[in-house]
Amino acid sequence: MTDILGNDLNLQYELLGPEIAVAVTAMLVLFADAFRKELNLGRFALPALSVVGLVIALILSALWIDENEDFARLVQVDNFTTFFRILFAAVTIVVIVGSHEYVSKHVSHVGEFYSLLLFSTAGAMLMAGARDLLTAYLAIEVMSFSLYILVSQTRNDTRGGEASLKYVLLGGVASAMLLYGLSFIYGVAGSTQYSEIAAGLANGTSDVELPLLLGLALVVAGLGFKASAVPFHMWTPDAYEGAPIPITAYLSATSKAATFALLLRWFAGPLLPAIDDWQWMVSAIAVATMVVGNLVALQQTNIKRLLAYSSIGQVGFMLMAITAISDETGSALLLHLTGYVITNLALFMAVVAFYNRTGTEEIADFRGLAQTNPYLALVITVGLFSLAGMPLLAGFLTKFILFQSVVSAGFTWLVVIALVASTVSLYYYLQVIRHMYLYEPEGDTSRWRLTPTGYLATGALFIGVVWVGIYATPFYTVADRAIAPLFA
Amino acid sequence: MIPLENFLILSGILFATGLYGVLARRSAILILMSVELMLAAVSINFIAFAAYLDGEAFSGLVFALFVITVAAAEVGLALGIVLRLFRERRTSYVDAADSLKW
Repeated sequence: MTDILGNDLNLQYELLGPEIAVAVTAMLVLFADAFRKELNLGRFALPALSVVGLVIALILSALWIDENEDFARLVQVDNFTTFFRILFAAVTIVVIVGSHEYVSKHVSHVGEFYSLLLFSTAGAMLMAGARDLLTAYLAIEVMSFSLYILVSQTRNDTRGGEASLKYVLLGGVASAMLLYGLSFIYGVAGSTQYSEIAAGLANGTSDVELPLLLGLALVVAGLGFKASAVPFHMWTPDAYEGAPIPITAYLSATSKAATFALLLRWFAGPLLPAIDDWQWMVSAIAVATMVVGNLVALQQTNIKRLLAYSSIGQVGFMLMAITAISDETGSALLLHLTGYVITNLALFMAVVAFYNRTGTEEIADFRGLAQTNPYLALVITVGLFSLAGMPLLAGFLTKFILFQSVVSAGFTWLVVIALVASTVSLYYYLQVIRHMYLYEPEGDTSRWRLTPTGYLATGALFIGVVWVGIYATPFYTVADRAIAPLFA
Repeated sequence: MIPLENFLILSGILFATGLYGVLARRSAILILMSVELMLAAVSINFIAFAAYLDGEAFSGLVFALFVITVAAAEVGLALGIVLRLFRERRTSYVDAADSLKW
């Protein structure tokens, strides 16, 4: 088939297999939920169905390893896309397995919850694969719209509605800014296709410098919002605190990773010829993000808010790699992103288990956890130490490789700031650990256990954190192969 | 033909008005309307560029169509969330949403 300009279109629907599998599962979940009584479904049916769909998507993604084809000039299926498809499917599986008990107790609409979670995953997968601005925009909105609703899905907790309102209003403004920026880039480059934008910008932009600069600034602002970079981060702590904890975990993992997938695709591809125009903006935002994120985290008393600010700080580190974009920093960014996602999920799944038992998320209530549940205290400690960058854990190695690659790209001053910010972060991570180990438990001092799925999710992630920290070679190879198509 | 600059100035005014509305208004409904203004500016930009820059490719026009559709969906979604806030607090002013701080 050809389009109206005579370009050959490749309409192999197998290329979209993973997205289709996830979206179809999402609809099946909605359908099954509507006929819950008639079908006589137990409480494990919907999460089990979702996980089956995601496993199928995972297998379908793996079929395209080392292929490089495009679907109708809209979606590029290469190793980069495959990497993120597998990552997103895996994250959603972990979130569902680790939190189904929480979901059945504290979420207002269970069927919609799983369904929207899957739709959001499909959107995130498309974000990584898009090769046209329109596809990318629609993918962003599929992911974000699902998340706007998911954030409000708390039962008996008015914080959900408020968080969701802030998220949707600010998200709408950010989308409008992003789109206005994209319209200028379309005007300057004359196309919405990534490859043609790159060619258009490489042809020289001296007579359209102002609209290009305006467009880039708006694009950076819009994506900065999605990645929760300072000064566009104000929604992050509120949405993180108000949302159900599994959604907070999902926001901090998939939503962030998908934004970075998009950032990598755009800034290493179509926007690379205009690097002199955007490099200073991204580096300024990176500095502001790591400094503000880590400083404000110091005064938090709620664990979800603390992790929100800590994740803002982490975004600052990752933006350094975008500033110094090259295949080396790109691969280091993918590696760091993987380590960060595993670590953050381990922490959040532990917080979910803690909340199931205690119904609180204040840091002060973690007192004495080392005595009442040493296993959970160990998982949280390892997670926090990994985020802080302690040796032998995922965070140290991936951060080290990331910082080193940024230095060798010539941005030593950025890394100096990052090291200082990273040291500051150790303080607030240690605060949580101090509460768990140095205080006596208050109230109920009896020992307690996690649910079997709780052990499964936290255990797998715990092993992941240690594994990436000790033996990262396979992950490093995978990241190298995933980034290669962007710089081919 | 009307010069391209005129369209860009119009869209710039619309976008700035919308952005001002977002920052200055306290009612969630009015903020949503301001976002709509910003999106209208986006559509004007895309259509103007499509008409002037590449006469035979429709990607800009298609983009505008999608922006309009997605904007409608976004308003529907946001109004649902405003409704939830209204049920809980009997107001649609964003100042009422103040239980989450720092």
